[in-house]
Formats: sequence, C-alpha cells, structure tokens
Amino acid sequence: MKRKFYHPEPTKAELNGPAYWKSLDDLQGNHQFQEWVNREFPDGADTMSDVDRRNFMKIMAASFGLAGVGVTGCRMPERKILPYTKQPEFLIPGVANYYSTSMPFGGENIPLVVETHQARPTKIEGNPSYKPNGGGTSTFSQVSILDLYDPDRARSHRDSSGKAISRADAESLIKDAASEFEGSTGEGLAFLATSSSSPTRAHLVSSLAAKFPKAIWAEHEGIDLSNPSKAVSALLQRPVRTVHHFDKAKRILSLDSDFVGYEGNATGNARAYAKGRKINSAKEATKMSRLYVAESNLSLAGANADHRLRMASTNIPAFAALVASHLVPSVKAPSGFSELEQQWAKECAADLLGHKGRALVVAGSHLAQEVHQVVVAMNEALEARGKTLEYVATDENKSTSIADLAAALEGNKVKTLVILGGNPAYDAPASVNWESAQAKAGKVIRLGYSEDETYSARSNWHAFIAQTHFLESWGDGRAWDGTYVPVQPMLAPLFGGMTEIELLARFLSKSVTDPHDQVRKTFEEISKKSDSRTFNKWLAEGILPGSAHTAVTTAFNKTVLDAIPSRFSPKVNFLNKDNLEVRFVPSAHNWDGRFANNGWAQECPHPITKITWDNAILISAKLAEELGGIIPDPWSMSGQVFGQDLNQLVRRTNEFNRGREITPIYQVTVDGVTVEGPLHVQPGIADYTLVLPLGHGRKTVGRVGKDSGFNFYPVRKSATSTSVGGVKISDTNRSYKLANTQEHWSQEGRAIIREGTADEYSKNPEFTSQMGMESHSPKLYPKIKDKETGKWREMTQQEKAMFVPRGNSAYTPPKYTEIEKKSDRFKLLIPGRYSPDGLFDQDLDNDEVSQTYHQQWGMVIDFNACIGCNSCVVACQSENNIPIVGKDQVLRGREMHWMRIDRYFSSDVYRNDGKFANDPKPDKRVIPDEVQVSFQSVACAQCELAPCESVCPVNATVHDEQGLNTMAYNRCIGTRYCANNCPYKVRRFNFLDWNKRDMGHFYEGPLGPAGVNELEQMQKNPDVSVRMRGVMEKCTYCVQRIQEAKINHKAKHPGSADVKVPDGTIKTACQQSCPTEAITFGDILDTESEVSKLKDSDRNYAVLGYLNIRPRTTYLSKIRNPNPAMPKAYPKPFARMEYDARYGHGLDANEMDYLGLPKGGDDHVHPVGSGNH
Amino acid sequence: MSASTTEIDKPDPAIMAKVKPGHIASRPLVENNRDYTWITDKICRIVEEKTPTWWWFCFAAACMTASFTVMGLIYLVSTGVGVWGLANPVNWGWAIVNFVFWIGIGHAGTLISAILCLLKQKWRTSINRAAEAMTVFAVVCAAIFPVFHVGRIWFAWFLFPLPNSNWLWPQFRSPLEWDVFAVSTYGTVSVLFWYMGMIPDLATIRDRATTRFRKFIYGLFSMGWRNANNHWRNFEAAYLLLAGLSTPLVLSVHTIVSFDFAVAQLPGWHTTIFPPYFVAGAIFSGFGMVLTLMLPLRSIYRLHDLINQQHIDNMCKITLATGTIVGYAYSMEFFIAWYGSNPYEGFAFINRAFGQYWWAYLTMISCNVISPQLFWFKAVRENPALVWIISIFVNVGMWFERFVIACTSLANDFMPSSWGYYSPSIVDIFTYFGTFGVFSVLFLLFVRFLPMMPMAEVKMVLPESDPHHGDDHH
Repeated sequence: MKRKFYHPEPTKAELNGPAYWKSLDDLQGNHQFQEWVNREFPDGADTMSDVDRRNFMKIMAASFGLAGVGVTGCRMPERKILPYTKQPEFLIPGVANYYSTSMPFGGENIPLVVETHQARPTKIEGNPSYKPNGGGTSTFSQVSILDLYDPDRARSHRDSSGKAISRADAESLIKDAASEFEGSTGEGLAFLATSSSSPTRAHLVSSLAAKFPKAIWAEHEGIDLSNPSKAVSALLQRPVRTVHHFDKAKRILSLDSDFVGYEGNATGNARAYAKGRKINSAKEATKMSRLYVAESNLSLAGANADHRLRMASTNIPAFAALVASHLVPSVKAPSGFSELEQQWAKECAADLLGHKGRALVVAGSHLAQEVHQVVVAMNEALEARGKTLEYVATDENKSTSIADLAAALEGNKVKTLVILGGNPAYDAPASVNWESAQAKAGKVIRLGYSEDETYSARSNWHAFIAQTHFLESWGDGRAWDGTYVPVQPMLAPLFGGMTEIELLARFLSKSVTDPHDQVRKTFEEISKKSDSRTFNKWLAEGILPGSAHTAVTTAFNKTVLDAIPSRFSPKVNFLNKDNLEVRFVPSAHNWDGRFANNGWAQECPHPITKITWDNAILISAKLAEELGGIIPDPWSMSGQVFGQDLNQLVRRTNEFNRGREITPIYQVTVDGVTVEGPLHVQPGIADYTLVLPLGHGRKTVGRVGKDSGFNFYPVRKSATSTSVGGVKISDTNRSYKLANTQEHWSQEGRAIIREGTADEYSKNPEFTSQMGMESHSPKLYPKIKDKETGKWREMTQQEKAMFVPRGNSAYTPPKYTEIEKKSDRFKLLIPGRYSPDGLFDQDLDNDEVSQTYHQQWGMVIDFNACIGCNSCVVACQSENNIPIVGKDQVLRGREMHWMRIDRYFSSDVYRNDGKFANDPKPDKRVIPDEVQVSFQSVACAQCELAPCESVCPVNATVHDEQGLNTMAYNRCIGTRYCANNCPYKVRRFNFLDWNKRDMGHFYEGPLGPAGVNELEQMQKNPDVSVRMRGVMEKCTYCVQRIQEAKINHKAKHPGSADVKVPDGTIKTACQQSCPTEAITFGDILDTESEVSKLKDSDRNYAVLGYLNIRPRTTYLSKIRNPNPAMPKAYPKPFARMEYDARYGHGLDANEMDYLGLPKGGDDHVHPVGSGNH
Repeated sequence: MSASTTEIDKPDPAIMAKVKPGHIASRPLVENNRDYTWITDKICRIVEEKTPTWWWFCFAAACMTASFTVMGLIYLVSTGVGVWGLANPVNWGWAIVNFVFWIGIGHAGTLISAILCLLKQKWRTSINRAAEAMTVFAVVCAAIFPVFHVGRIWFAWFLFPLPNSNWLWPQFRSPLEWDVFAVSTYGTVSVLFWYMGMIPDLATIRDRATTRFRKFIYGLFSMGWRNANNHWRNFEAAYLLLAGLSTPLVLSVHTIVSFDFAVAQLPGWHTTIFPPYFVAGAIFSGFGMVLTLMLPLRSIYRLHDLINQQHIDNMCKITLATGTIVGYAYSMEFFIAWYGSNPYEGFAFINRAFGQYWWAYLTMISCNVISPQLFWFKAVRENPALVWIISIFVNVGMWFERFVIACTSLANDFMPSSWGYYSPSIVDIFTYFGTFGVFSVLFLLFVRFLPMMPMAEVKMVLPESDPHHGDDHH
C-alpha cells in the first residue's frame, strides 16, 4: 500500500535541480515559474506550503482514515509519494509523541497527555502538570480513547431523510436554520446542551443571549453532580464550587458521598485522600487520616472507610442533622435513630471536633441542597474553610433545565431545537417525556456522536451533524479547580465531524467559526497575552498556570447559616421489604451511558461487584433472605475435617452455579413505573435499599454495547432526586447470567492481604512479617556474616536480589561490570554465591562478569493507598493491546486483563465453628452485610524463581537479565502449563482469536468472518505485539517502556557503558495512571530508589512468599485506623481476626470479646498453624 | 534348609530344584484337553473366516464414533482451544484427564507382556496379545490429547530437540518435555514388542492362507519366519530383551506422567506420593480394561477353554490389589495434607472430598476403592457378568480419579479471588467419546486381521509341551 507522506517544502535548489532546468525562468527560480508549478501541481504545492503541525495532522489523519476505513486496496494513490529526504520535525517513526489535551466530562475538563504514534493517538495519560491529579487518571479518561475508534460512530452528516451529506451541505443546513431567526428575538429557538466548562462556549452562549434574547438555552447531564455547588452558591449568593483538600484532613466524614469514586474531581480527591493514608514508618501510623462513611450503597469511599455505617439514603439527611447536632448547637437531633446510630454519630462528631481545622465533612451530590447547607454549617463549625476546603468562585451559568425546555416544547413553543451532544432521549429524567417533547419541535438539528436513542426518536429532523471526538477537536475548558486547559486535536476528524463550538459559531453566523481560532481568541482574553509563545506554551503544558478559580473570602452570613435548621427537619424513615428505597448511582462502566459502546469500559469489572458488561439491582443479604431465600446453598457445611474448617467450602457466592452467577430477574416498581433487572446480593448495602446503577440497557447502541444491562432511567424522576421511598419489588421467575470475574469473596483467613490497625502497627511494626506460612517455616534468606564487621546479620534488599537460593536454581542473579566493581556502589552490591559459612564470595571470576550493568526491576504496591478504582486495569489494557472478549467469554472465565483488582470482603460475624454470631439462622446465611473491603491489584509479580518458567516445555517464558519474566510469544505453543503453575493466576491465554474476530463470531471457525477491525486497529500500541490465538500472555512490567527508556538514556550518553536509567524515569502504565500513586516501580539494586526504600519498609511482604518464588512485586500491608471510642470498634481488621483464628496465633481476649466468643475456649479457636514463636 | 558356605559357592542343583515357583494355577491353563491343532484352528479361523455381521455393525458404529474425535479436532485446530471448556484457572481439563486415562489403560498390556513374562507367569499367554494391542491403541488415543491440546499445534514440533539456527532447544526441566520422551519411547517399545511377538503367528496364518493376497500380506509381515530353530532362538532372546526393556517403562511412563502434576507447586498436585500411586492406578485401570475387552471377546469367539476362570481370577486379584493400593494412596494424601499443616494443601483435599466437585470424588472412591473389594469373594470372581460390570466401574473410577486430581486442584488454589469452576464443552465430550471409537476401530481391525492370541505361546503352556508333566526339569 502506498501512503502519502508529508514532504517538506522543497528548496528552490531541490525543486529546480542544480544541473537541469526546463527554462531560463526555471534556472532563475523566479516567481512566475513557482506559480506555474503551483498551477501544474495544485494540490501538492498548496499542501506543502503550510508547514504547521495542525495541517500536517490533518493530512496524516486523512490518510490514516482512508487507510483504515476506505477500501484502500481499490484506490490508486493520487500522487506519487516521495520518501523522506529531510525528516519532518517531531516525527520519528517508531517514537511516540505526547501532546497535552483535556477531556470534557460532566462539566469539568480532565487534563490529559496523549501518546500518539504518527498522529495516531494510542494511549491516554493524566497530565502531571496539573498538580491535583498528578498524572493520575480515572477509568473513564482511560477508556475514552477507544471511543475515538468506535466502529459504530457516526461517519457522516445527514439530512432530514437520514442520507449522508457533505460538510458543505451540512454547513448550509445550519445556515438555513439560523437564517429563519435572523433579525428576530430568537423566540421559538431552543438549545439543549451538556454541561461544559469551556469559556469559549460560554462566550458563544452569551452572544447567543445577546443576539436572540428569547432563545432558550438548557443544559442537561444524565448524571447531575451540581447540587453541592448550587447549595453553597445559594448561601454565598454567588456561583461557587467547593474544592476539598482531603490531604489536609485528618478526620473525614462522608455522608453517602463517593468522593473517590464518581463525585466531581474524584481523581484529584483520590490522590489527596491517599496522601493522608500513606505512612512510611510505624512512627507515622497514628498520624494517618481516619475516614467515616455513612452510606446506603457500598461505594469506593465506603470500601476504604475505617468506620462505615450502613444507612438508607433517605435517612442520610436526618443522620446529617444528627451528626450536626453535636457540632452546630442550633441543630436539633432528629429522633428515631437506634442506639448504635446515635452513639456512632456522637463519637464521630467528637472525633471531628477534636481535629478542628483538620476535619472535613462531605455529602453526596444526590442529596438535597439543604443537606449540603447543613454540611456547610458543620464544616464551618469544624473550621474547615481555608484549611481542608475552599469555596472558589466559578463562572455563572444561566441555563435552564431540561424540564423547562420540555415544557416549552410540549407547549409547541419551539420552532427550532438544537441538541448539542448528550443523549436526552435516554438519560432525561423520567418526569420529562423527552421523546414526545422532542417530536413537538418544528425542526431539530442534532450534533451527535453516534446513532443513539435520541437519534432513533427523530421525526422532525432538519440535520444530523456528526460530532467530533475530543481527541480530534479544538476546544478549551476548566479543570475542577478552574485551571484553564486546552482541548487539542491529535488528528484531524476521522470522519470530518464538527465540534460544538463550531456549530454554535456557525449558527450565530460568527466571523470566526474555526474552533482553533475561537479558542485562541478566548485564550488571549483569559491570559491577557496575544503572543504565540504563551499560546504554544499553554498547548504544550496543557495548563495555564495561575488560572485556577480563586477562593471566595466572603464569610457566610451568620443569620443565613443559623436559619438552616429551621428549614431542615428531616425525619427518620422506617423501611422494610414492602417499603424500599432506590438509590441511583452512575455506572462504573459507562458513567451515564456514554461509554456503552466501549468494550474496555464494559469489560472492566465493577470495582465492588466485579460484574462486567451488565448492571444489576444490588440488594443486601438481609433483603435477599426476606424476599424468599435466593440464598440456599445446599453444600454449606460446618465442622472440621482434619483440622480444616469446612466453612471455607461454602461458596459464599450463593448466586453462583458452576462458576456462573445466575440470578433471578426482579421487577422494581416506583410510582407505577416498572423496570426490571437481575438481583445481585452485595454485602455492605443498607438493608432496604435497592441500588440501581444507571447507564446500561441502551436500546440504540452500537454492536459492542448491545444487550448490555438494564435501563433504570425510566424510574428516576429527576436528575437530582436519586433516592426515593415506597418502592416495591417482585420476582419475574426468570433468571439471568451475570459475567462476574470474581466468585469467591472471602480470603478464607489466608494471609494474602495482610492487615493491621494503626495502633497495632505503632506498637508492633513487625506484625506483617509475623503472618503467613513463611513466618512458620525456615527463613528463605539466610543470615550472612558481614565482611566488614564480621557479625551475622540479615541480608539487605539488594543482597537478596543477588542471592542464589539454596538448592540452586536455574535462575542466575545479575552480574556486574568492571566499572560497577570499581565504583563505591559496588560495596553495597555484594554479588556472588551463598556459601555454607554464610559468607559471600566477592572475588568474582572475571569471566563471570558480563560487560553490561543490568538494573533489577521490582515493584511495590501499597495497600494503604490502593482504593480499588480500576484505573490501572484499563491503563494496562490500553498500553498492552489487551483484547476484550465479550460477556459470553467472561462468563466462561476467559477475561484477558493482565492486571486485575481482587476485592475481598471480610466480616466480623465469622466464627470458627462456621456459624455466624448473632444470626438467627446461622446455617443458612452465608453472605454477611457488615463487611470490610480489601483491594489487591494483581499482575505478574515477575518471580525470580518463576514457577511458570520451569514448566514451559519450549522455553517460551524465560527470565531476562533485568529480572523480568518475559514472554516470547512467537515461541509459545500454548500448553498452558505455566498458567496452571502460576500461584497468582495472572497468566492469560488466547483461547480464541480475540483480535481477528468480532465478538459473537469467535466460534465460527474457518467459516466465520475474520480479519482485524481496521478502525480499532488504529488504537493498538505499535510497541507491543498483538497476540494470536493459542498464545499465553501476561504482564512484563511494560518492558516496552523500559526498553524505550534505556535506549533514550543510551542515546543521551553515547559510548558509555552506563545504561542505568535514573530512578523515576520509567513508569509502568498501571503506575502512571494510578491516581493514588499506590504503585512504585524501579531498580531494587539501587539503594536510593523509591522502590528499594519502600521494600525496606517493615510493612513490605511477598504474597505467598513461603513458596520461595521470590516475587519482584511485593505489597505493603494495609493499615486501618479505627477509633476505639466508636461503637463496635474492631480491635483488629476483620480479615486479620479471621487469619488469627484460623492460621495465626489465635485470638486475643479483646478479639474474643468483640466476636462474642466464649473465653477460655481458646484451644478451640486456632485449629491449624498456631505455630510457636 | 541348611546350606554351608561351600554349598552356596557351588550351587547344588538338587537344592535349586527345591526353590520352585509356587503354583498359582491348580486348574489347567487350557481346558478340555485341547490340542495344538485345535488352538491353531481356533485362533486362525477368527482371521480366516468370513467377516461376521456383528463385526460390520460394530465397525460402522466405531467409525462413526471415531469421527466425533476427528470432527472435534478439526474444529479445535481451525478455531482455537476455546472450543473446549477450559478457562482460567482450569487450564487443563478433559484433554489432560483423557491423556492420563488412556496412558494408564495401556499399562496392563505392558505389565502382562513384560513383567509377567519375566516372572514366568504362564497364565499371561492367552491374554497378552490382546492386552498388548490394547496398549498400543491406548497410546494412540492418549497421544491425541497432549498433541492437540496445545494452542498452536502447527508449532508442536518445538517440543522436539531439533537442531536449529536460533540454537533454541526445548526446556528439559519441564515435565511436559519428559512426557514427549516417555510416551514416544513407550509407544515405540510397545509396538515393537507387540509386533515381534506376533511374527510366528503371522507366519502360521500365512501358511494357512488360501489367496495370493493374504499370502503376500501376511508373508510380508511375518518377515520370512520359517519356524527354524535359530529363528526361535533369536525370537526368544529378543522377546526377553524387550520384556526387560519394557519392565522399567511400566514404572517410568506413569511416573513421568504423574510428574506433570507432582512437579507443579499447586496444592493437590505437589505431592511425592504421585509416582507409585499413579503406577498402581495405571495397572489397576489397565486390568480393568483388559477384563472389559476380554470377557466379551471370550463369549463371542467361544474362547472359554483358552481364557478360563483361572485367568479371570488372577486378573480380578490384581485389580483388587492395585485398587487397594490406590485406596491407600487416597487416604495417605489426606493424612499428609493434615500432617503437613499447610492451609493451602489442607484446603485442596477437603475441597476435593466435600467441595463443589464432591460428586466426582464420590464416584472415584466408590468405583476405585469400594467396587473392587467385591473381588474378595469367589462367587463374584466367578460371575463373568459381575466381573465385567466391576471392570467398567474401574474404568469410570479411574477416569474420575484423573479428573479429580487435575480439575479440583486447579479450580481452587492459592488465591480465592481466582477460584472458578470447570465444565466441559460439547466439543470436549465428543472428542473424548470419539476416542473410544478410535480405540474400537483399531481393536476391531486387530481382532479381524491379526492373531488375537499368541498361538505359539499358548501351545507352550499345554501339557503336551511339557513332557515331564509339570514335574521338575529333570
């Protein structure tokens, strides 16, 4: 295939040639001759005169578009192509370029950096220049790149009949529609847009208001998070937004708020929150922050809480008042709460008060504005303002709601309706019948990304304008803190789409319609600088320093604050089986439904339920039992055999049948409207709350999102009222399969995720290493006699990496160069073999010394920082070309994620006899409701003594000199023995041709359609091979990034044998995307590297270390920070008590007391492994 | 026995004569005083007579069943291993179970032909040919699975140490690599042993042949056997040599197959008891299969005089003995799991017996440990129908043993988050049952075209062959 390549403008000498000329004019190279050339070769000459990157991108993208989409094989190249004679700037084949941009998302722009290969974006990363996020990203930003290559996106503009039209025609259609209103007040003109932080759009909106004062401008988001801002704005009487500083808060109370999950600025919040949780030594243990959460749904925030109270969302306002009553004197405590709840609120409030200026209260954005005002009052009482939170001034937004617009439409008052993006027919509140309202408009212009519900509801279409993806758009916006950020295109629109601001500008007949020029103009206004340098710097850095919103200093009006309680007297509702509440949450996969056709989004397991491709009605185990026992587990047994607790055989996964979650479909009726969905019993849900995740069950959607989940929008009356009471539920007698990636929720007392309390850690810093099988078996690493002091001592981390284990092994530790041997560092790195006297043989034979120094890679994952957000999972998928396999294959257990997050629940109702304390039906109930959650991100640990390597018959998986357990895909024949022998189960096998076949065609063999989807193919990272069927694959610490960094380093230091890449240069994809910086990667031989320092922590341990596999990825144990004054304050984390009881040193008196176990029955409590120390 | 040192230095034939092997058989090995001619006629007529109708029906049914395997494999290779029920964490399912099952079946053949030959067990003669054929065909069936279970069969030649320009060799530390050598050696020696033992009988059929074609074919395969003395001398020597060669193979093959599991570190796999336990299990299943095959053949061809109650009795007793060894191994595994105090190991065994695969474990125990115990009773051993049914139980039980070991250990190992459940797909099931077709096709062809019993050897155990009437070798 021939491809057009950019060729820089030829110099006159090149163009004319020094020796041959066509005429004297040619020889002279005069102007007329140049013009003649232009006439003769109009296209090429024109193109070549414009050398800026943007144009280049356009051309490149166009050619890629043609290459990828068109039937390239049938097309003759238009012109002759020329090879590079001079390398164009910024473009080196094989070397990625990184450009900053930002993703507009729910009214905030998330600053990003995008990796592009030859103008082809392949991977999204956070923009490290934007400090609040620090380079971290959410799963949504990670998956958004796949939408760019969505095979089902709209590929053309369309006219009223749905026929594809050219861009020029589309432009004239817009012009026609606009001309009707020319000179009018705009009566009958209406716009419906999504929330946006773009100042350019704000300009356009204000000029719209100026030109058409009577036009309606409405904004709508499927998931509306604006309540908190509105509440505070009302108090301060100016538009503000709350910016929280979780890193500065030592005590945090969250009222039904998933501030690290889906609330605004979740990524920044997660990063700040984790800062307060990270501890470097036992001394700092008590300094870590403490999180209290009262919530109905088990959110990510709740999963990370130190104290969590399950409470119906409808009771959260009353509970807010209860807590407030201890903080704000004027608030009265509502009656009706249980003793425990009152105690909980009291002690929590006391703890918050004890940390004035270092405490913070947040509330979920679905809660009523009054609740947020009470929260403001509480934060005022806690002196949080200016310390743990700020109220910053934002731009005013004068839009009306979709309900008002719908009313106007229903009243036939709208002649022309312009829908800018969004999908209102799907996600509008149920009280608004958008489809019928939309049909009442005279004509509709729709800017849309794909054929969706709003598109299929068309009847009065004037024009459908294909929208651009943000990666192919010019635009701007503001990050959460107000920092002004650009939206830069990585390539010209693949299908010639239009951006929102261009459409608006065209509609307003603006002189400047080009989005780039518009943005440039806005930038000049905001930065007050008009030079290209500042503009280019903004584009390059992706942020405009100093442009963040400023904090509002106006104090709250005392009387307004004091008046809050009078307007706020919530009652405690008593819910039961026949009077349930529903709580709507955004989809962890699709957000409001926008990522429904995105395979990465759909297949990324839900962080809590681990369900893929679907949503489900989440209910508590208690409700499940009351609904008539979807719990029976015929094989639940109790007792012991040979000291093994039979309780662990209970699948604890009641809905699972032969490895598949098969659940009944239930109907939920809210005010006469019925929706249905499968039930999923979820520990941690409030007893009588039905959690309904939105964003699934799209009807008009592409091939990927088809038949995925259930739509719960029809029962959501308004975008902000997300909890309702008086709901009924009934069985449909049908069942449904849910593709769940994790069946078993309990760790079964195994020392996999090791947990302790802050108090315990400060008293016994060694507790982590006192757990697990290895604490009972001979040490894996012997003590050595120090050469200098002659004393026996433990090996250092570096010495361990050099150590040849007893019994010998095929693994060869690294060897050193002469240069290294002469350096001072070498003293720290004592290579050699272990000898029986415990001495290391330092006198290496020269032959054994290789000429290159190899860094030894290792990784540490901090359980205290990991919040289980899944960002790493998608980042890894994006970086390493990991295919999606579809629901059917996930059901079979063949998901391909190299990195997964294991989510375990632990419960305090565990008792060693297999029964659950305080449970009326101890034999039946196998899912508890009160749980603690532990997350563990697992990828290949690069074991030094890798069990996978020794069993591969063809040497397809081998160790390299850097300690990486590498995969030679070409050598792999697929015996799968390696996967069987991997104790972490991180190897993934290509059972079928995931890459060459579309989902649904995997089983068709030679008869089915095969071939790579050319559009999706464009996303693939060219640095990583795409694996065929029959091949095993797994994480290799992003070896492509390591190699790239080494090559770059070597290029900078030519001739030097030193290829030691400085610490922190290489970031693995998972590490880079992690918003909490839970993952650290680096050279473990370097005593100064971050990873070495963490590995020296007393919290560091190897999961399943007793197997002597010596994993290079180790973990830092999880520290919880309970408040002993709280009711039901746990003496140890639940998982820890379970370990202690089963395999550890038995429970102590405190723990026995807590669990309600009879004292003196100690011998009964530790059946196995109560080894002596 | 009082013997001085000098007597030991110089063995006294009189004393040596006293050390004679005990007589297992009290009944004659060939009943009803059948003579040489009768035996020759009986065995040769099976091959020479018109093909019976039942054979055609069976052959057609077997071919059809075998086609399942062929179709299953075509689908597998063209589409991917995903057509089977495998998934993470159970990456080895029926394919490996079937492989071990079939390899195990073969062991009785080798044991009968090699070990019993060396131990001079005369009763082996009437069953060894069929048992050897069974071995060869079982190895054929077994070999299908490890070859086809790989993801990219077109690269399976990577398993062989072929010199190449990349200087890449197989990984000799992998038990799968050991399998390649163990199974191919086993297959080769088994074929040689089987074929070589057949040469005198093929010559007999050649001599009796009436058509040129038969004469030519059997002549070709009897390799010019002329019943000459030196032929017999060489034959006997070679036979003994191959018996000696095969004997360690009986032990080594299944030992190495057991290493596929034992060398891995998976709880439930990583146990030192596997080699002896697997060998015992293999012999157990092999004798089960011999009984399953021989009892119907005996009825169809009326071979009751050649395969008499004594043969059945002996085989039942071996089945009982090995079945009990297997049972001991099961209980010892449990004991060690408890004694080792390793929570992962302990769980693996509890899970086997009481977990989600309890039904497989129960099937295994009842078929392998309980059902053979009936062989303590003479009445059971003398009831061919009952023996046949129990032999089927043994086959079923041994398949389940491999399933229990392979699948339950994989399904629930170290990390509870990865626990799963394995169910076979329809392709798995068809491919497996198809191998019974493959086996039957081969066995039917064997019955039809090759001497089913070693006539020469059977004749050797007739009283006529022993002019001293069982008295000592004077």
